[in-house]
Amino acid sequence: MRLRVFVAVALTAALGVVAATASASVDRHQANKITVWLQVDAQSGWPDVVAAANTQFQADHPGYSVDVQYQNWGDHLQKFDATLAAGNTPDVIEMGNTEMTKYMAAGAFADLTSLKGTFANSSNWLAGLAKSGMYGGKVYGVPYYAGSRVVTYRTDLFKKAGITKAPTSLSQFLSDAKLLAAKNKQKGFSPVYIAGTDWYFAMSFVYDFGGQIAATSHGKWVGTLDSPQAIAGLTAYKSFWKAVSKASPTTDENTPPPYNVYSQGLASAIVGPSWFSCCTGKTFTSITGQFVMPSHVAGKSIPGFLGGSDLAVPASSGNKALGADWIKDFTSTANEKLLQAKGNIPNATSLLGNSVNERAAARSWFVPAAKHWVDVENGNILRNMLAQILTGKQSVKQAAENASSNIALVLNQP
Amino acid sequence: MAERVVIAAETTWSRRRRRLTWGRVARGSVPYWLILPVLGAIGAILGYPLYRLFRLAFQHYGLEELIRHSGQPVGLHNFGHVLHDQIFWHTLVRTVIFTVANVGLTMGIGTLIALLLVRVSTVVRVLLTAGLVLVWSMPVVVAVQVWGWMTNYQNGVVNYILTELHFGDYFQHNWYGSTFSQLAIVTTLIVWGALPFVAITVFAALAQVPADLVEAAQIDGAPPWRVFLDVTVPIIRPVLLILTSLSIVWDFGVFVQPYLLIGQTHITPGNYLMGIYLFEKGYFDNDYGQGAAISILMLLIVATLSIFYVRKMVRIGDVD
Repeated sequence: MRLRVFVAVALTAALGVVAATASASVDRHQANKITVWLQVDAQSGWPDVVAAANTQFQADHPGYSVDVQYQNWGDHLQKFDATLAAGNTPDVIEMGNTEMTKYMAAGAFADLTSLKGTFANSSNWLAGLAKSGMYGGKVYGVPYYAGSRVVTYRTDLFKKAGITKAPTSLSQFLSDAKLLAAKNKQKGFSPVYIAGTDWYFAMSFVYDFGGQIAATSHGKWVGTLDSPQAIAGLTAYKSFWKAVSKASPTTDENTPPPYNVYSQGLASAIVGPSWFSCCTGKTFTSITGQFVMPSHVAGKSIPGFLGGSDLAVPASSGNKALGADWIKDFTSTANEKLLQAKGNIPNATSLLGNSVNERAAARSWFVPAAKHWVDVENGNILRNMLAQILTGKQSVKQAAENASSNIALVLNQP
Repeated sequence: MAERVVIAAETTWSRRRRRLTWGRVARGSVPYWLILPVLGAIGAILGYPLYRLFRLAFQHYGLEELIRHSGQPVGLHNFGHVLHDQIFWHTLVRTVIFTVANVGLTMGIGTLIALLLVRVSTVVRVLLTAGLVLVWSMPVVVAVQVWGWMTNYQNGVVNYILTELHFGDYFQHNWYGSTFSQLAIVTTLIVWGALPFVAITVFAALAQVPADLVEAAQIDGAPPWRVFLDVTVPIIRPVLLILTSLSIVWDFGVFVQPYLLIGQTHITPGNYLMGIYLFEKGYFDNDYGQGAAISILMLLIVATLSIFYVRKMVRIGDVD
């Protein structure tokens, strides 16, 4: 055991390359199977959509099977890198829209430009998602779905606290939270559970106050979290968080997932993707509602992070055409409508409805479109900044300045 | 004992050397033929990756090169970059302190448990040994899960017990709030996991300490700690040195425990250990060349430490 750990560390960098040379010659593509990497969200949220796509695919390609392998956001890129090295990439991979640029720039994906017309609703793809799947004027990623972030809340507790309608401003939400806290005295109860380092939520405050994460100036990236607007946003986040959340100031929004805290009855509201309503626990399903997070400007909604996924075909796949065909089946109009029914935003403007999720998407922000943005995420620069701010180890200004210079350093790498 | 055998073998060999015949050479070479498969296997599973690692360290090898399966030679650039990186030096200092703390605690507590094992009754000894073996057989990842649960912010059993025992209000105490606290929790996990090996090995070594020597020292009026330091320790010193050097090698390059327990989203240059620094550079930043350079530097540091200890060991052998 110990020896294995040591060897793993000492040779860690070598192994990838060894694997590359060792298995490049092995033809592991089975003649009648395609491999699809989807995120676990599909497994827990919409397995029926996956099944529908597989059925359609197998009807079109008799004798073929689809091996869907579910991945975690935390390590799927490392795993993908390993398959790139070994030459056994999947035939279809789901990528977060913030992850695409780096891989498109490196030539990891097959050019799907000529096939674009064959994907359903491709002329009406959501602009934000379609853009994240394009590089140098070519299409590498097919929009899968988008999701905005909303507040998921307990209607019964809100009613008990005398709150009759969803808050329409940040300050009203704050006073509502105080009412909720007064009615729910159990230890560890959060009126609004927000993981301390949930940067998706925290950055909404930055954008709400007119700030942004980074900007280009004279062809170089500049971190802008230390601008007065961004600092105002971060300060507002800090005081809101302190007032409403009993979460650990250093924890992320994965451990524990906020809906677990919610389903344990320890929160009257949580913030996060709208699909959080899936997992609020049986007891609370009928007394759970959602509203759009309000802005500090009354009557407006806060700009939410527009997350989303693209589907791409790795350039080294042995079944590129089949992979594209599966994507076609998976993103059919019928399937996109199923995704919409689960609370997601479908991939095309022509399919948009009026759900809380889709309304929240009306005001949104997106990460800087930089090749190295994903390194900022993986380096936990924003999370670390938030942890420093919330634990009080650094002032908002100090932490924001540090983060800004680190972001510039990472984004300006060659 | 072992030395005497070696000396005997040497004299036999020098006596026979006078009559060198082909048959003798053929027979003499048998051991080398027998060891060849082992050397071949080691060469294949250790030598070849090591060769690739060295080649990689002198190349620019990023995501594009990974997809193309070929890197660009850049000479010593990777090493220069790493050695000019402040993070490397901070990480090195942090890792050395971390290693000293872990090795010190492991050796200290392990030796104390071994001394305890000598003194307790057979039943207790069997129970204690069984407990140690159970700890040793616990997979690291499982242990990390248990530790994570025990130190959980909201529902952790440690916070619960400390509060119930009136050590203060530990409700929602954050055990991962600072680098020191994070690495301290990791240290408890690593020391806990390494104790069985040290305790059982030292216990075995203690069995070699002649009882009459200890008794003689006691009759002369030496207090227990004097007996331990002046009689026991010199006899078990070779074992202590081997264990210490092995522990240094393990703890210096530790990866799994800190990475999983602290969690990827909490890893920042501010709490890097060497193994994690290497992983982040190599895998997260997709700079495999630099990752390889770091691992070679780590290899050199550990090798230097090992040489220091091996030499010390050899010297002890000479004295005895």
